[in-house]
Parts: sequence; C-alpha cells; structure tokens
Amino acid sequence: MIPRQIRAAFSNQAVSMFLILIAMWLVLSRLSPYFLTVGNISEITLQTAVIGIIAAGSTLIIISGGIDLSVGSLFACSGVLGGLVLQRTSNLPAALLTTILCGGLLGLVNGFFITRLRVPPFIATLGMLGIARGLALILSRGIPIFGLSPQYLWIGQGKVFNVIPVPTIILLLVFALVFFVAHYTRFGRFIYAIGSNAEAAVLSGINLKLVTLCIYAGGGLLCGVASIIEGARLATIQPAGGSGYELSAIGAVVIGGTSLFGGEGNVVATLIGAIIETTIRNGLNILGVNAFWQYVVNGGVIIAAVAVDQLKRQL
Amino acid sequence: MLKNVNFDLRKGEIHALLGENGAGKSTLIKILSGAYKLDSGTIRLKGKEINPSYGPKAAEDLGIVTIYQNFHLVPHLSVAENLAIRGFTTERGMLVNWSAVYHHAQAALDKIHFPIDPRAKVKDLSVAKKQMLEIAIALSKSPEIIIMDEPTAALSKREIDVLFEMIAELKTQGISIIYVSHKLEEIKQIGDRVTILRDGTHIATLNLRDAELREIVRLMIGREMPIELRDRSARQSEIVFALEDVTNQHFARPFNLGLRANEILGITGLVGAGKTELARAIFGVDKMVTGKMYLQGKKIKVRSPRHAVRSGIGYLPEDRDSEGLCLNMGVRENLTLALLAKLHRVFLDRASETRLAKETIKSVKIRTSGVSQQVKYLSGGNKQKVIFAKWLEANCQVLILDEPTMGIDVGARKEIYDLVRRFIKKPQKAVILISSDIQEILEIADWILVLSDHRVVAELNARETNKQEIVEYSMRLIR
Repeated sequence: MIPRQIRAAFSNQAVSMFLILIAMWLVLSRLSPYFLTVGNISEITLQTAVIGIIAAGSTLIIISGGIDLSVGSLFACSGVLGGLVLQRTSNLPAALLTTILCGGLLGLVNGFFITRLRVPPFIATLGMLGIARGLALILSRGIPIFGLSPQYLWIGQGKVFNVIPVPTIILLLVFALVFFVAHYTRFGRFIYAIGSNAEAAVLSGINLKLVTLCIYAGGGLLCGVASIIEGARLATIQPAGGSGYELSAIGAVVIGGTSLFGGEGNVVATLIGAIIETTIRNGLNILGVNAFWQYVVNGGVIIAAVAVDQLKRQL
Repeated sequence: MLKNVNFDLRKGEIHALLGENGAGKSTLIKILSGAYKLDSGTIRLKGKEINPSYGPKAAEDLGIVTIYQNFHLVPHLSVAENLAIRGFTTERGMLVNWSAVYHHAQAALDKIHFPIDPRAKVKDLSVAKKQMLEIAIALSKSPEIIIMDEPTAALSKREIDVLFEMIAELKTQGISIIYVSHKLEEIKQIGDRVTILRDGTHIATLNLRDAELREIVRLMIGREMPIELRDRSARQSEIVFALEDVTNQHFARPFNLGLRANEILGITGLVGAGKTELARAIFGVDKMVTGKMYLQGKKIKVRSPRHAVRSGIGYLPEDRDSEGLCLNMGVRENLTLALLAKLHRVFLDRASETRLAKETIKSVKIRTSGVSQQVKYLSGGNKQKVIFAKWLEANCQVLILDEPTMGIDVGARKEIYDLVRRFIKKPQKAVILISSDIQEILEIADWILVLSDHRVVAELNARETNKQEIVEYSMRLIR
C-alpha cells in the first residue's frame, strides 16, 4: 500500500525515533497547555529549520563515511560575505547567491583537503572550523551586519498563507531535495557505496575523489542556505553565529539513527532527530526549566538514542 | 589435517620441508613450534619423549625456536628493544637498565656478522635487515633447533649468501635447522635431507645429495588427475587485449601479454610470483610507469580503476568481502554498482534496476531471499556470483578473475565455471583467470602463463601440458 520507496525511507531507528517524538509531544502537551498550539508547533518547525538544513548536508557526509566539523563556521562565514554584498549593492539575489556559493566553495576546499592532501575528514574540517570562523570575523571586522532589507527579512519572518513560516517551507524543500538525491540519483547511490566499502566502490569504477568533493561542497551550500534563514530571522548576521551548530547537526544525524561509520542512514531520520532536539529545547523552555538543563538533556538523548540502536543491533 | 606424519631431525642437520599449498607444512611447523596441539602421536627430543601439547614459550624453553614469514617484530620499537623484549634486565626493581639492553643487543648482532644499528627503529629497516634481526633474536634464545619458514622470500642474492654462510656456521655448532621453502635450488644448495608432504601425509624423505629435482617435484604433486578434453582449438581468434612493455612498482622488467577473443588465459605461479600484481596493473590500481595497454587494437589509458571500468575491464578481487562487495547493501545495489559507475545518466530508474536485478539473479542462479537482501547474508559462492554478475551487468569485455573459487564448495565452483564458459562464448569477450590451483587452471584455461618473480617464465597450451611441467616452471627448474 505504502510505496516501497517511502517504506525504505523509514529505517528501523527512524521509526522508533518518530514514535518517541510523538510520545514526547504527548507528554509535553499534558504538562503544559501552551505546547500543542498551532503557534508553538509552527515555532518548533521554525527553530528546526536552521539546524535541520545544516544536518541534511551533514547526513550525506556522514553516510559517505566522513564528517564535517566546520559547518558552524561555514554558516557564519557565508552569511557574513552575503551580508556584506547586500550592504554594498542592495542586490538581494546577488547577496543570497553569494552566501550559498561561499558556503559551497568553503565546502569544496574541505573536499580538496580530504581528497588531494589526504587529510582525514576530522582533521581537515577541524582546521576549516578555525579558518572559516576567522575569515568571518575578519571580513565583518567583528561587527554584526544590520540593516537587512524587508525582502530579506521575509525569508526568515514571513509566512505563507499567513500560517506556515517560510523557513519551514524551505526546510521541507531542502529535505525533499536531499532525499531525492540520496535515493534517486547515481550520486546518492555512490554516497552509500563509498560509506559501506570505499575500496569495493573504487574497484567498481566509482570516482571517489569527485563524489567526495561534491558531498562536502553540497554540505557547504546548505550551510549557506541555513545562514540566510538565520540572518533573516534575527534581522542581523552575526560573525560569531553558528558556534556549536556542528554538534547539534551531528546530534540530529545520530539521534535519527545514521551510523557514524557510514554506509547506512537517511535524511528523513535526521529530520526527526532535528525536531527531537528542538522539541527538547522548546519543551524545557515552556516548562520553565533552567535553560542550562537543555545541554544536559540534549547530550543525554544523543547517548540514549545511539545506545538503544546499538542494543538493537546485538539482538 | 595431518595423517600419520613421521619426521626425524638429526643433530647439526639442515632438513628441508617441501610440499604444495595445503600439503601440511605450516601445520607441522606450528605443531613443532607449539602453536598447534596434535591429536595423537609422540614427539621425542634427544631420545626422550616430551609432552606433545606444549605452548610456544615452552617450545623455546625446549630449545625450539621458530622464525616465521611474517615478522614478529614491534615496528615502533628499536632493534635493541626488540631483542630484549622477552625480559628487560632491571635494577632497583622497576627501572630498565638501558646500558645492559644495548650491550646485550650489540652482542647478539655481532654473532650474526650483519651490521644493524641497535638504536634503529624496526619500521625503518629494510625487509632483509628485519629478516636478519629475526635470526639474531632466534639465536639469542640459545636454540638447538631452528625452524625457518621461507627465510629467503625477500632477500637479494647477496643477502641469501650471507644467510647461507650463517646457516653453515650454525650447522658446525651442532644446531639443527628445519628449512621450509619453495625454492628447490636453494634447498639443494644448502640442505642435507628433504621431507616431502602431500595432502597431510608423509610421502618421502630423501638425501638431497643424490636426489633428482624433477623426481622431487613428481613426489610433491603426486598422481595427475585426468582432465576432461575440450574441443576448441587454441589461439586462432584475434587479440582482444594486450599489454606492451608494461612496467610499474612491482614489474621492473617489461611485461608483455596477449589475450585473444573467447579465450580463458590462465595465470599461475607460486605465492609472490606477481599474479595479483598483474591484475592490479591491468585494472589501474597500480599505476603504469611505462608501457601501453591495448583493447581491441586501440590504445587505452588506464590510470585508475575508473578508467579500466569505463574501457570495459572488470575485476573480481581475491578478497571478495573487503574488495568486491558493499556488505550491508542489498543484492540489487551491488549488482548495479559497476554499471552505474560506467553510465553518465544522473537519475536512477529504480524500477528497471529492480527488474534487471531479478533477471540477473535468475540467469546467474544467485540464491537469495530477494533483491533487497543484504549481501552479507549470502554464502561465499553466492557472494562470488553477485560480484561476477556485477560485471555481466556492466557489460564488461575483459574479465579478470583473481582466485575465483577459493573457499567455495564444489557445487558452487562448478556453477562459476559454467558462468565463465558462458561468458566467453559471447563475441569479443575474454577472461584472465588467476589461480594458484593448478588443477583448476588445467581444467578451465585454454592457454596458461606461468609467472615467477614478476615475469612470464612459460607460455603453455593447456591441452598439451600437465601439472608436473607447470610446477617445474614455477619453481624455475626449467629455464
């Protein structure tokens, strides 16, 4: 009844996490009348947008067996560059394009370090984390960028049909696109093959270097998209923004059930993982819990999610 | 594994141990060195019967020291530390007495007259020096019996001479040596007696001074099995693939090869002769330094496996799990991997992919619960069929099979042979079959290349040769 492709989209772990999400929502709606309102749910999806879009790119990188620790810095640097273009030229399309392409370019540089210089992804992106952050601060001279045009702000604050926030739509579009690439293109198939067994993939004729470059570049592009949304929401582009986002992104991927060893996983699961993270933040806020507990709970959920997955594998 | 093997070793004797792969040499050595336990039988040392299930440390205490092919050295420690590893001399209980360590190391190294810096890190040593270090370590344990497993595998002529001088000196000291090697000339040069094993049984023990090398080979391989006759005449079709004067990191001397259409070219030789290196050279895994490659008369540039696949070459690797399959992916996904790598289309047509997979599973007779079953759950034979079918789906023209039936049961073997025969019937297809199983090569191949030391030492018509001749060529008895 349900098409096999859609069934395949939900790995075991994703289904469990989805049920846990539903359970969380039910519990929270009992604990607070403010939780299950249209406004709050819409707020949750809105808050998920930025991390979710970054995590979508990270999902493909992790499935291929790599990792990207620099996403937060790519986010900041691309946003700053785009913001500066907007300030100088007041040309919105140019600014948006600059942000996205800057993210893509930095991602490409990551890919270059990994494929040509043979630096392990962990180290390469760790270095880029510093480099891109530094560039963001240098270009902006440490000053947040203000004065974004109303059209720009609409991307973050506007609502379609007066109900659905624009970022939510972008989030869904991004995930649909990444899902499509992962399951309906050759490139997506190569990502899974490389993550499963890079040696066998190479010996089957797959162009490991090219695929790797594209994955990291793609992840970078998505960091740019996320940066646009956050800038538009906050009406300011912060050179220090995005700090720690890599951990939330990886957390979302991992909670969704994608293995850090690569070769399996899917973006739908990551979306659920991202929503879980946001739900925790949002729920604890509504319940008036000390904000610092969010860190504890988030960390705990990551460990619990992976532990449960590991236990299921042993059975 | 071993059945009623009798073996005796005289004092001060160099006793060679000979046999094909799987004959039981390694098993016998491991029993003597204490790594394996025997099921029945007795071991007598100097006339006294000893407890036959001793462990490796007990073996050394008895005076039996083994030098294995893969070195048991710690790469990141120095030569002296490796020499002292069994027991650092200490004073004040916990601190290492480093001057004693280096003193002891220098003494051990002087004994073998081979200059090695005791402070050098093992990982920086050449293979020959590592070999010498292993011998020095063995000698420092005051052995009465030394077992050497293929000691000259990585040594140059000059280094072998030094080794033999050392062995001769050990002989005068009354130390006995059990010498396992494939190199008949060396055995003849240095050995006193030779024991030949086949299929786990003791075949003969001969005096090397009087023995004929060809007779030794005959004893090693035994009775030849009858081969079913084939009716195709050899070498009439045109050349479909050729290597011209190819050299690379493994092949120092120019390598030439010609493969004809509808032919199965068998490649055989001893371990280390260069069989898998040849496959890797053709498939672009090891880069060519000089030379040319031709496919259907046209020069092709193969600088990576990607180019090889695009040109129409396929490769079934020796290690099927770690090099041939994506284990956690399904049968369908593994089947189409090479085909997808060749295509230029962007989008996947999953419906036709599934259809193609189902057809392939049926025609190749892959036993699986479905197209989506993860290949890690398939049997060895079926995994091999999946890899084979991957190249069929990719429409490859030249297929290289590296030890395709290793570890596969008789039934699956036959099915794979049928697949190969079906494949080469198609126009312009050809197969290179690499195998250390000479029986298999004789059964399947049309033409046979015998490799030794990364060179072709014989080109034989499969119909006109036999196992004896092939083994003699691989062991360089015939030049």
